Amino acid sequence: MLKRVLRGSVSFLLVLVLAGLFSHGVFVVRGADGASVSVGEADVAVRQAFDATLDAERAGANVSGLILRLNEAGIILGEAEMALGNGNSSEAASKAGQCIGIAESVKGDADVLKASALDEAQTVFWTSLTFSVVSIAAFAVVLVLVWRRFKRGYNRKVLGMKPEVASDAED
Amino acid sequence: MLKIEDYKAVFASVGLIGVLLFASSTLGLVLRLPGGEKFSELWVLGPGHMAEDYPFNVGADVNYLVYVGVGNHMGCSAYYVVYVKFRNQTESLPNATVGTPSPLPPLFEYRLFVEDGKSWEAPLRFSFSNVSFSENRSFVGSLMINGLTFNVDKSASWDVENNGYYYQLFMELWIYNVEFQAFEYHNRFVGLWLNMTGV
Repeated sequence: MLKRVLRGSVSFLLVLVLAGLFSHGVFVVRGADGASVSVGEADVAVRQAFDATLDAERAGANVSGLILRLNEAGIILGEAEMALGNGNSSEAASKAGQCIGIAESVKGDADVLKASALDEAQTVFWTSLTFSVVSIAAFAVVLVLVWRRFKRGYNRKVLGMKPEVASDAED
Repeated sequence: MLKIEDYKAVFASVGLIGVLLFASSTLGLVLRLPGGEKFSELWVLGPGHMAEDYPFNVGADVNYLVYVGVGNHMGCSAYYVVYVKFRNQTESLPNATVGTPSPLPPLFEYRLFVEDGKSWEAPLRFSFSNVSFSENRSFVGSLMINGLTFNVDKSASWDVENNGYYYQLFMELWIYNVEFQAFEYHNRFVGLWLNMTGV
């Protein structure tokens, strides 16, 4: 009876140990996979933030502040990738999360900056176009008036001229 | 005396110049003239931020410092990665003619964003450990870069011509291509020749 109980207990413990070992392996693999996915997501988030920053820059926004924050995100992403390479999954995942936070905030700010830069550019364009059109019209009117006056004076001058006979003309 | 047609031509010219002058502010917003040559710079400076006092004769467990720099003249902000790699004389460098990077895996990386016309610089601290010498060969077990240790396990034979065990620490510049959404080798690299002298 005692033998049976002992055998049963040993088998149970063996099963527990094996299950523990197996589940540890699963958790470690899942942890590494999770960290790898997080680092991948952080990489994508930084790229998207950079794309948005570039769009804002093309729209005419000042992106110096965004570039500073992107550099911060880049440093953290580099650290996350190196932590992942060294097998430090928890640090990699934590750094990736930090990086995603910064990248998303940069992307949001870049979108706002782009919209305001586009608005500003549109206002500048219409102001400039109005100034150009009005100036050209005024200039054309002035030029036409000056031309008419000049033409009148020119004609008067031509009509007032007397024909002259050259002194060495033949008789 | 000039004919009336000549004066007409002068007035027309003045009119055209005036129209262009008044339209220039709006044309400047619409027309985009092509910029100059687009390129990036990659450099390495000594510990005093000057192109001097580079580490050359190196030994184990000694800290060395250089500065890595990148300059952006691409016409817009750029996203770069600088990969730090380590090789012996038999391993390949990037191919500048074909524009391909070295096949060696990077040990350390800098991710950086630089505005057009601006530059970036960062320290690169490194030291060697597990260095040994035997039968005209030197071995480097580990390389520490900016506080992170990497197992490199490289060996170099004695260079008869230059009297030393030569290794090279080099940096490759990669740039993010927005169109392809991927990093590509930017065909720029700089390196430091290092002569392993002692344990």
